[in-house]
Amino acid sequence: MYLSVNWLKSWLKLPSDLSAQDLAHQLTMSTVEVEEVLDQSASLAGVVVGKIKELAEHPDADRLQVCQVDLGSSVEQIVCGGTNLSKGMLVAVATVGSQVKWHGEGELVTLEKVKIRGIESNGMIAASSEIGLNNLFPAKSEKEILDLSSFNLKVGQNLSQALQLNDFVIDIDNKSINHRPDLWGQYGLAREVAAIYRLKLKEYQVSELKIKEEEKLKVTVKDKDKCFRYLGLVIKNVKIAPSPWWLKVRLEAVGLRPINNIVDVTNYVMYELGQPMHAFDAKMIEGQEIQVLSAKKGEKFVTLDGVKRRLNENSLMISDGKKYVALAGIMGGQNSEISLETENIILESANFQASNIRRTSTALGLRSESSSRFEKSLDPEIAELAIKKAAELILALNEEAYVASRLVDVNNSPFSEITLSVPEDLINKRFGVVIPTKEIKDILGRLQFKVTYKNKIFEIKVPSFRATKDISIPEDIVEEVARIYGYDNIQASLPEAKIQTPQIDLAHTTTKDLRYWLSLAQEYTEVYNYPFTNVSWAEKLGLNLTEHIKVKNTISADQAYLNLSLLPNLLAKAEENFRFFDEIRIFELERVFDKNKKGVYHVDPAKKKYLPAQDKQISGVKVTVKDEQVAFLEVKGLLESLGEYLGLNFILEKTTNNFSKLVYNIKEQDVILGQFGLLKESLFDSGPTKVQVAWWQLNFSSLVKYINQNTSYQSLAKFPSVNRDLAILVGKNVLWEDLVKEIVKVSPLLINVEPFDVFMGKGVPENKKSIAFHLEFRSPEKTLESEDVEQLIKKILDILNKKFQAQIR
Amino acid sequence: MESKLKNLKDSVLKDLAEIKDSQILADLKNKYLGRKGELNELLKSLKDLSVEEKPKIGKLANEVKEELVVLFSKAEKIISGDKKESEDLDFDPTLPGIKKEIGHLNPSTIVQYEIEDAFLAMGFSIYDGPQLESDYYNFTALNIPDDHPARDTQDTFWLEGDNLLRTHTSNLQVRMLEKYGAPFRGIFPGRVFRYEATDASHDHTFYQLEGLMVDEDINIGNLIATMKTLLSAVFRREVDVRLRPGFFPFVEPGFEMDIKCLVCSGDGCSVCKQSGWLELMPCGMVHPKVLEAGGVDSKKYSGFAFGLGLTRMTMMKYRINDIRLLESGDLRFLKQF
Repeated sequence: MYLSVNWLKSWLKLPSDLSAQDLAHQLTMSTVEVEEVLDQSASLAGVVVGKIKELAEHPDADRLQVCQVDLGSSVEQIVCGGTNLSKGMLVAVATVGSQVKWHGEGELVTLEKVKIRGIESNGMIAASSEIGLNNLFPAKSEKEILDLSSFNLKVGQNLSQALQLNDFVIDIDNKSINHRPDLWGQYGLAREVAAIYRLKLKEYQVSELKIKEEEKLKVTVKDKDKCFRYLGLVIKNVKIAPSPWWLKVRLEAVGLRPINNIVDVTNYVMYELGQPMHAFDAKMIEGQEIQVLSAKKGEKFVTLDGVKRRLNENSLMISDGKKYVALAGIMGGQNSEISLETENIILESANFQASNIRRTSTALGLRSESSSRFEKSLDPEIAELAIKKAAELILALNEEAYVASRLVDVNNSPFSEITLSVPEDLINKRFGVVIPTKEIKDILGRLQFKVTYKNKIFEIKVPSFRATKDISIPEDIVEEVARIYGYDNIQASLPEAKIQTPQIDLAHTTTKDLRYWLSLAQEYTEVYNYPFTNVSWAEKLGLNLTEHIKVKNTISADQAYLNLSLLPNLLAKAEENFRFFDEIRIFELERVFDKNKKGVYHVDPAKKKYLPAQDKQISGVKVTVKDEQVAFLEVKGLLESLGEYLGLNFILEKTTNNFSKLVYNIKEQDVILGQFGLLKESLFDSGPTKVQVAWWQLNFSSLVKYINQNTSYQSLAKFPSVNRDLAILVGKNVLWEDLVKEIVKVSPLLINVEPFDVFMGKGVPENKKSIAFHLEFRSPEKTLESEDVEQLIKKILDILNKKFQAQIR
Repeated sequence: MESKLKNLKDSVLKDLAEIKDSQILADLKNKYLGRKGELNELLKSLKDLSVEEKPKIGKLANEVKEELVVLFSKAEKIISGDKKESEDLDFDPTLPGIKKEIGHLNPSTIVQYEIEDAFLAMGFSIYDGPQLESDYYNFTALNIPDDHPARDTQDTFWLEGDNLLRTHTSNLQVRMLEKYGAPFRGIFPGRVFRYEATDASHDHTFYQLEGLMVDEDINIGNLIATMKTLLSAVFRREVDVRLRPGFFPFVEPGFEMDIKCLVCSGDGCSVCKQSGWLELMPCGMVHPKVLEAGGVDSKKYSGFAFGLGLTRMTMMKYRINDIRLLESGDLRFLKQF
């Protein structure tokens, strides 16, 4: 939304020392968010009115001409490619040093003195788009330069001054006025400025209509809950023509393209009061009455932008009894548009229900200046003011025109006057500072609230333009007072609150612990991934996409499913990183989304339905050039120490899946908490380098439930332990796990068995392997003698020999 | 006695000169200096000396003992191969130290924990909740009914089953009030999503840290002071903040909080676009409807809420100029933190 400072001056006398920048700042601090301040004269700096004195062909270019241009103080030679140049023509000359948009596109370029095909050129004769005036002066072709001959202009004058384009325009962020229907017009903003600066605001005036009642206009509103008010009026004898310059300048300031003296008036009123309007060509309205009614699903209608729209049962339509002529509140129809032949018009100023306008415009994918105002809940009172103002202007611009019908007004406004009782205490308590009663009354008065004060309570009548949804509760009044009083006047003071029981969430503290543990102790780097699963990796892992939650409105096709596992994205990231690193260890701790599992979060307070499960997973991928045994055992070791770290007793149990050459379940008691394994090599693209890709994943949300925080101290050993190393030869397929099972059976005095070397090859018979391991013996009762230990070792060797034909090396 | 001590010393010197084996050295050390060694045996006879002789011989005996200890430790060094003194090392100590490689946390995690610590110290607890959310908790309960224009400002990823990816961490406001009631003091950091195209300053996935404090008589000044204190702790310097109006349906009044530019201290620079201030976060006093939706008596309690942009803070802190790096998983980036 643009605010024109010149337009404001119609109702306000701004302080002479108030700059547009200051005004913008104050609006930002009290009312809305300002994006930027545009200075019309600055953007036309260095552009002056010139007169072409002489024209000659360029000696070396067919399409260029060499012009001698009178700029008042000098005559400059300018080479120009315009197709409509003529001697004596008044043109806009961008002088050397000024900024233009080359062919109306791209960034601004600063003009320099140049030679064009050998001929010196000092500046540029501008096309309208090159100096940003294409709305005011639409060009028929790209080569057409701006012809100012029809204006009575002084040669050498600054163009901005000559054309009265010397406004400051404040660009207001629309998001910041979503809740303020009254600020979608210049007058509403003027009201704010008046309140902020304590200025006197001129009342908005319209003259009473003089009616020559030749026509009976009938309006029937069939859907009263979608159309709160409808005002209509017939004006005859208009003559369609361009609007006068002052009107064009106003429209230019707020970024609108002038069209003709009827459409421009409806736009002007919309920008002044915030009330969208429409003008129909009366000749195209066949029936006897205007009807406001809902469409039937599937009906079609061509809007004035030429697009055929498919309607639904929510679409509110304006009909002439025979056909639809407008999509109510959104856009008029092509069939009744104002044309050069139009002589009589029907003016519409209505008020439509906000959410229906929004629903329809969303469903039809059609947003307009009109719909974006109606969806904010406009004040039905303004509709009347607007139609009177529009009629007044149309009559002023069309000498022969007259009002040919009564002003028809079908008013079903559901809004009633709002009176709020606001305790003075509430304002001061929320604000944290006591504001004098007089000051509160004054501020509310400036904002046009009617206030009475009794027994420390303000009785506040809300003006109609704030009463459609904006102001409805006492807290809204707190904001009104506070923002005008100034947030800078608030005393910052820390809250005084009672100490509360802290909520310590084990999942949260464990998340933090594990992130640090993985990064600092395990050399894993944390990555963040999108919630959308990498489809190609999901497929490689054999994950069924239909089991994933689908995104209805996707940004791109490969972001259509929510993660059911963190692995696809992690593997994709590992693969991308492999270009730069050959050892990769990455992890992620995030939620995954499972529609087949009921989650723990309810959908609404009734707690009858639940959202899909969204457990947290913790998952890692390790890419290494080390051999597969090391790759596997390192990940196995990581999980074993993770279990120890969290006080869990992981049981690892071999299983299979279709993407791994080796895979184990990670179980706690009988529950599978996760898996780890080695990826099939063919799945991972590592170029010519042979790598091993190990992966692991755990359901973090489940795992947290098993964390054991009850560590208790074990008394230190009283007697020394005896350490012995053994090396044995066994068949190469004998598993360590099986050996250990037998070894530990031998004696409770054996407190630790740990392999330290497994070897096959030179010196070891074929089909055999050598395993060397440490044994640690200790008795809780005495210092073990070496004979005791020797006997146990003999027993161990015997049983290993018996079960596995093991031989000592 | 005196001569016995001298003899002992001489025989030690003689023995040590011939030593070539550490075991023998240890035995020898035991023989002379052990608990039942020769020196101790000698010292036992000190008690038989006269009162005049005792201090003199005692002193000598101690000197001999110290001397022997030094001799043995030298001998031990020689035997164990530690023959050289530090001035003639045979390696280059100026080579870089041998470091253990460590992994790295995402910078957003680092900043999140810094901010969490500050809030924890101020008595806030940390809460977590769903990212896949219902329309009710993300919008309706926050006073954003269907067809409300404010929905435009939060373009939403819609999911099958008519749920959505939460557009803000505010989805937890009503959930937490329902669960814990008032008074309440908590923060909810987490991942949020907006349906929008990505570029260097926009990503559809980013992080916020929501805060909510509900108690009796909470006012706007409390909000300002809390944020000022928090931000000063996080940035480790005094910071200045200001409020200006901002509209968010779940707060009334609603504000945008700006922070005085940390680069130019408010003088105006390219970072703050010459304004001296940087937009930091939306915040406000909790709307009575939101309190009521959470089952809290809005006549008795009031509160403030804020939505700190964690991703924005991370980018500010590390001067990251492309938001997409944070979710890129690119180790060249992540290993810098």
